[in-house]
Amino acid sequence: MSPMSNLQASEGPARLLLVDDESQIVRALTPALAAAGYSVEIAATGEAALSQMAGDPCDVVILDLGLPDMDGKEVIRRIREWSEAPIIVLSARDLESEKIAALDLGADDFVNKPVGVGELLARVRASLRGRERRFTAQASFKAGDLEISFPNRRVLVQDEEVRLTPREYDLLRTLARHAGRVVTHKQVITAVWGAEAQVDAQFVRVLVAQLRQKLELEPSAPRIVLTEPGVGYRLKADDA
Amino acid sequence: MTLKIAPISSRTIWRYAATFVIVALSTGVAEIVYRFSHLLRLSSVFLAGVLVTAFWLGSGPAYFASVIAFLAFNFYILGGRTPLSFTSWESILTLAMFFIVAMLTGSLTGRVRDEAQKAMTRARATQALFDATRDFSASPDENFIHERLAYHLAAAARSGALVVTQQGTFASPDGLEPPPGLLSRALALAGEEGVGGVVTTLADGWSLRPLHADGVSLGVAAWRPHAGGQLAADEQTLLAILADAGAAAVARARLAAAKSNAEARARTEELRNALLSSISHDLRTPLAAIMASASSLQEFGETFDLATRRDLTATIQEESERMNAFVANLLNMTKLEAGALAVTRTRFGVQEVVDRTMRRQQLTHRRTVLEAAPFAELEASGDPVLFEQALGNVVENAIRYSPAGSTVRIACERADDEAVVRVTDEGPGVPSEDIGRIFDKFYRSPSVAATAGTGLGLSIARGFMEAMGGVVTAANRPKPERGLAVTLRLGLAPQ
Repeated sequence: MSPMSNLQASEGPARLLLVDDESQIVRALTPALAAAGYSVEIAATGEAALSQMAGDPCDVVILDLGLPDMDGKEVIRRIREWSEAPIIVLSARDLESEKIAALDLGADDFVNKPVGVGELLARVRASLRGRERRFTAQASFKAGDLEISFPNRRVLVQDEEVRLTPREYDLLRTLARHAGRVVTHKQVITAVWGAEAQVDAQFVRVLVAQLRQKLELEPSAPRIVLTEPGVGYRLKADDA
Repeated sequence: MTLKIAPISSRTIWRYAATFVIVALSTGVAEIVYRFSHLLRLSSVFLAGVLVTAFWLGSGPAYFASVIAFLAFNFYILGGRTPLSFTSWESILTLAMFFIVAMLTGSLTGRVRDEAQKAMTRARATQALFDATRDFSASPDENFIHERLAYHLAAAARSGALVVTQQGTFASPDGLEPPPGLLSRALALAGEEGVGGVVTTLADGWSLRPLHADGVSLGVAAWRPHAGGQLAADEQTLLAILADAGAAAVARARLAAAKSNAEARARTEELRNALLSSISHDLRTPLAAIMASASSLQEFGETFDLATRRDLTATIQEESERMNAFVANLLNMTKLEAGALAVTRTRFGVQEVVDRTMRRQQLTHRRTVLEAAPFAELEASGDPVLFEQALGNVVENAIRYSPAGSTVRIACERADDEAVVRVTDEGPGVPSEDIGRIFDKFYRSPSVAATAGTGLGLSIARGFMEAMGGVVTAANRPKPERGLAVTLRLGLAPQ
């Protein structure tokens, strides 16, 4: 991220780029995004989105995967070659593999169509916050009953300290860094076991179950570590 | 296993009988020569007989001919009274020389003849194998291969042949019926282990050879006994090779069938995935617009100005209609498939339906470039609801696959006793080799791959038109114009 766009974000309203070729979706979403205080740019094709990002970068990209001129995943790949701007995938596709591929290519989050504007705006806020967090070394994280103090690796739930194994702590830290956004199984594996590890998604499920046992009031009905079926996990953020 | 070996075939007997006749003829000639010239140097006449025998009938008969020719010649040399009474050294020498020369001549000529015979048999076998393998590769159809195998086996066995399949059916090229009990015997044999390559001969003379390829039993080849008795060793070998080649061809045909099955399954799977993804897209896009509009109104309704609120409610209405149309199409497709489509036949005004279709399509697509050429008042006979849906699908298709801002035209005319409605667009058209397929279910033109769609609309339009006794056709517009022209024809209402 260039200091330039950082500056933009802190000075004016955050700018969103909405990439969708279905005009009715654009028509339906734009007023709410504008009313929430964002300035909205529209692109109907992948090429238009790329040239917008190259000429006048936006702070968040909301991207439909089914574009007339190229696959949405290709747009993600090309934006990620040089830009760290958060990308939220807006998808009507039903394939988990598509979502995972988009996230692994560097998308920050995904939202399934149809979606209410309230949820979409929460995701936009989460992604903007995540971007800020990357550049400000925050020593602690707080969301609801959960509190993490990074320097001394302390985890508190309802002000009571919870003892975590190193792997459980690594998992929680990873989820907290992406709070409010989805983290894929692959991303968890990379963060906890390392990029080279030959680890099954089943290991992640077991580790998440252990973590829930320690954090959640009711581990079978989690309210902190949420499951994104077939894709990964999401740590509940304060406003999402 | 009943194995019956005839010690001497009738063919052999015939050959030796022929030998005897040839030598008898030689003797006759010698007798005539003797009567006229009283010459005793008749050895060349008998040698000629031996030579002819060797040349015609091979080395075995040639030796036989040498012996009987020697006895006959003996009769002449010694005056016929006391055979084998060696009275003079000269006669003995002559006789001995004759016998040696006759044996040598017979042996050499016979061998030449045998070699020629063998070469010819080999050539015939090679030709038969070549013909058979070419036949087998002509078609991947298993039944065809069975039939050709039976045909070639029959030719090689110089009798009739059958191929019995694993299912207990049989193939025979010339309508040959298997004798009672053969089929069950063959099936039992096919089920046995380790009988590949073994020929079983039944009591009635039929020979059975199981067909095996890669350890899998593929049936049994059976051939009838040859009228001339036992088959020669090379003929048996040819039969065995033919049977093996046939088995290999059947195995190859099965592999090819399995492969094409797997490919068809993969294609169906691909099609199903494409359809599901398409349906989910076509249902969710309007749903997403409705949800976004409704939730926007709920959260920010007070802050929006009147124009924005109206726009959002209009979106909700339009998208609901679009979804309804899509659901109707899916239901119609199901009805068409199930044959449960109710068709009423009434008189209706074509113009009215066209007008209504245009109004509706302009509303959903916000495309005001639809143009209708003026046309005469026409009354067609059919189901106005189905006709409207068919026309709607065609127009929807034209709008969807032509560039924004281009014109879609609807023209209507009367041709003989039909109402003709033609919808033309300025889109990319359809590759000419695919034009016949655009009404196929799930067909999508490669030139519009990026645009969402299920490939259902036009196939439903065709289904509806045909249900009413109408026709729908498509053609690329003639150059220099571009785009597709789809024509719907429906019979006029009787006057």
